[in-house]
Amino acid sequence: MSSTMIGRRAALGAGVAVLAAPAVLRRARAQAGPLKLGVPTAITGTWAALGAQVVRTCRLWAKTVNAQGGLLGRQVEFLFEDTQGVPANCLRKAQEMVERDRVNILLGLMASSEALAVMPKLAEWNALFISSVNGAGSITAEHWVPNAVRANISGPMGARALALHLRDSPQTDYFCLSLDYAWGRSSVETFEGLLRGIGKRSIGSVFAPVGTRDYSTYIARIRQANPQALYIALTGDDGTAFLRQAAQFRLFERMPIVTETVDMLFTRPAGEAAIGLVGGSRYSFAYDIPANAAFVQRFRAEYNELPDTYDGEQWQALDVLMAAARRANSTETAALVAAMRDLELSSVKGPLRIRACDGQAEQQGFVVRVARKEGFPHPVPEVIRTYPAAEVTPACRSATFA
Amino acid sequence: MDPVALFTLQLLNALSLSALLFFIALGLTLIFGIMRVINFAHGAIYMLGAYVGVTTQTLTGSFALSLVLAPLAAALLGLAFERSALTRLYAREHSAFLLVTFGLALALTEAIRLAWGPDPRQAELPAALAGIVFVLDEPFPVYRLVLIGAGAAAALALWLLLHRTRLGLLMRAASQNAAMTAALGNDVAAVRAAVFALACGLAALGGALAAPLFTAYIGLGTSVIIDAFVIVMIGGMGSFVGTAVGSLLVGFAQTFGNFYFPELALGATYALMIAVLLLRPGGLFGREE
Amino acid sequence: MTPAAPRAVLAAIAVLAALGFVLPGYAVTLLTEAIILALFALSLDLLVGHARLVSFGHAGPWGFGAYVAAGLLLVLQLPLPVAALGAALATALVAVPVGWLCVRTTGVAFAMLSLAFAQLGYAVVFKWSAVTGGSDGLPGVPRGGGPLGLDWLATREGFHVLAALALAGAYLIARGFTVSPLGRVAAAVRENEARAQALGYDPRRTRLAVFVLSYGLAGLAGGLYAGFARYVSPELFFWTVSGHVLVMVILGGAGTLVGPMIGAMALFFLEHQLSGLTESWGLALGIVFILVVIFAPRGLMGWIEDALRRGRRASRADP
Repeated sequence: MSSTMIGRRAALGAGVAVLAAPAVLRRARAQAGPLKLGVPTAITGTWAALGAQVVRTCRLWAKTVNAQGGLLGRQVEFLFEDTQGVPANCLRKAQEMVERDRVNILLGLMASSEALAVMPKLAEWNALFISSVNGAGSITAEHWVPNAVRANISGPMGARALALHLRDSPQTDYFCLSLDYAWGRSSVETFEGLLRGIGKRSIGSVFAPVGTRDYSTYIARIRQANPQALYIALTGDDGTAFLRQAAQFRLFERMPIVTETVDMLFTRPAGEAAIGLVGGSRYSFAYDIPANAAFVQRFRAEYNELPDTYDGEQWQALDVLMAAARRANSTETAALVAAMRDLELSSVKGPLRIRACDGQAEQQGFVVRVARKEGFPHPVPEVIRTYPAAEVTPACRSATFA
Repeated sequence: MDPVALFTLQLLNALSLSALLFFIALGLTLIFGIMRVINFAHGAIYMLGAYVGVTTQTLTGSFALSLVLAPLAAALLGLAFERSALTRLYAREHSAFLLVTFGLALALTEAIRLAWGPDPRQAELPAALAGIVFVLDEPFPVYRLVLIGAGAAAALALWLLLHRTRLGLLMRAASQNAAMTAALGNDVAAVRAAVFALACGLAALGGALAAPLFTAYIGLGTSVIIDAFVIVMIGGMGSFVGTAVGSLLVGFAQTFGNFYFPELALGATYALMIAVLLLRPGGLFGREE
Repeated sequence: MTPAAPRAVLAAIAVLAALGFVLPGYAVTLLTEAIILALFALSLDLLVGHARLVSFGHAGPWGFGAYVAAGLLLVLQLPLPVAALGAALATALVAVPVGWLCVRTTGVAFAMLSLAFAQLGYAVVFKWSAVTGGSDGLPGVPRGGGPLGLDWLATREGFHVLAALALAGAYLIARGFTVSPLGRVAAAVRENEARAQALGYDPRRTRLAVFVLSYGLAGLAGGLYAGFARYVSPELFFWTVSGHVLVMVILGGAGTLVGPMIGAMALFFLEHQLSGLTESWGLALGIVFILVVIFAPRGLMGWIEDALRRGRRASRADP
């Protein structure tokens, strides 16, 4: 900080000094102290339940890593800020973390719109963003920036795994239901394209307005269309509400229901209504490899709960960060970005590789089915198929499959 | 599906949605009728009803008890809030009321998140209500018929309250002319308190009834409050009959509109409200302010 | 309001602008956003305070202005100040037919009509994804400078000064309107519509004038916001935004022009600081609202005026 600046500050009087002084102190501390990781996420608001997964997994990771001596010898500290899932808030909180707290690594952003708002700023901020939640295809296609990587399975990748699984099923005529927003529309579009690719067809689709709670009229419409199977791209409260109402109308008895992603967050409140639901999965505690078993055990010991989709995704994203930092032997942005190129590692979902061309982590695809299982108080997903990365990852900087 | 069966099914769907909307809109309109203000916290109260209902059912196993305790808890909260905060504001501009209920909505939503956590809560319907009946060979959930019955019963009970009891008489009088009602020696403050508590109780009952369909989650209140505003405006602020008609209109418009014209659904309710307000600014059954 | 106020207000805005050169970068960005919100709240105060038309749809002109500016910046690559002014004009233009319909009513009906139009805007932006990007919004809006050294306006400090200038200009326009003959008629219509009508004034046309001016200034605020955030999305139109800005106006003190600006900045910083301190900031904020309403009946502005008056009285009493 230059002396002229301090001179000017002094001239402007006490009020300004009060505002600025903590920043000076904070900056001094940031140089020597622990490695700070910024997590602007949805702690309150409609996405709060997903944000809670991100936060608790970050805490567990920090505890685990710090107990082992930290990352490259530095203790890790997470800064959490509440964005309510609103892009404007996310932008502000992220900027403050970067500029005030000297954070250069951002994680755990909730809505795709938040990620899309932050990504164009990354170069200016000299910061790195590792997505663990955001599914929109465009994040690794037309809106991709070099300082962003996506450790998680994207929406199109989830749809692809499901389509590969359905190729072998007897049903040919599908009906698609989703909410009328970007994720839902692109999911249905991708799915319909994939159906054609495997010699099946969509006999109709409907998009309910965002905020729809009563699905009875859509259930009537599905009954009238009378497809052999139903595809839904609904998650969170929307998914729960639909599954409960579909079960009340005995829709499952007429046709199998498949979904792009199965999260316990929406299948658990659906209770018995979720049994039999088949879908893609971004992460499942039931994936049976030693690395995941160890994570699930540690997680249950800490929280006495099963890790859900974004617990696993967040853990994997943090593993990506750790591998990149070790490869670069640095936590500086440029070094990390370079180390992320073609980075290979193994995490709770098995092997993955961050490809250089669009930052997408190539990884296995999963298909799960919700079932009643010994030892669990509610129906839980079980992994029924896995597909190698080559089959479920779209071409570079593309959100669709040729 | 047979067209007659489809139509019958949709008729029942529309009626059950209307019934759910009716509970929350009714409270809003009662409060407006007597206090001339909009209660922004109404959605949060509805959400509170869903949470209290689910928890009651989880702890006691009784769905019926949840339908008693949820409105009771909300009515008590409403009463306490009316006595401690709202009662100081009646002499002031409406904007004060708006801000204070906005504050209550914020605080209550956060308090619910603190008390119940961010994950949604649910309880299963009792077996007697979880079944189906066949309507022209189409399965239809028994519980939706229960909702229609509950809506009709609430309408009847409110009508009797308004037209056959002394409290109802006072409510109607105070909504016509509060000053005159007070001048005649009636305790208008007590009537206001009773109305606010009653309105909160109705919203919470709506929430407890809705929980088996939607579960209890943060954001339940936000999703429904605008629909309720629209109903109250279309029907006419403060009009009991108007609210019933408005609930039916919106319930039918959403059920049939989303079926035949799903692409227009997002804007349709607002277009309907604009049309009604331009033709009759006081709403279909309301007086012009 | 005391007649000396305008000069004090302009001086305060000048200080805010000057802070842009002194404070650390992130604080400048926060302050810029607060200034834009102050402009937004100021525009709403014309309707709520001056015409007593409680709009519950002010997210409409805000979102519309933001999308227009984003379009001008993205497609035509116009300089930032031109895009913001274009947003203001376009919003004022659209406000003519919308306002013509809305001001046929007053009171709650007006509030709900303005809400309905804002929500229709939300629906259109949401559905028309080929142009608006749908729910993904439009990321990467450029902050174009332009010729004549205007490039400086695209920097953090430059943009901050631009926002402060816009606020000062909007304040002068709003203040000028309230003391103008038309503004006085609007006040007369607010106090007694029948009498104003008997005196030969057309209440509806008067209200329309306030409406258009208010929407134009809100469009300016929205346009600046698009350049500020470099991102627009349908949430800008959502009714919670309307509720939020209405709270800013009431919290600050409706009808004072200055109060809503203070209310906007106070609420913005309060939310920002509280949400950094505690997860339960919503609870704290809700309780603050309730206490302010009960103990500061005329909003923060009334509270400040009372404090100043007490201070003056105390200093006079002191020997």
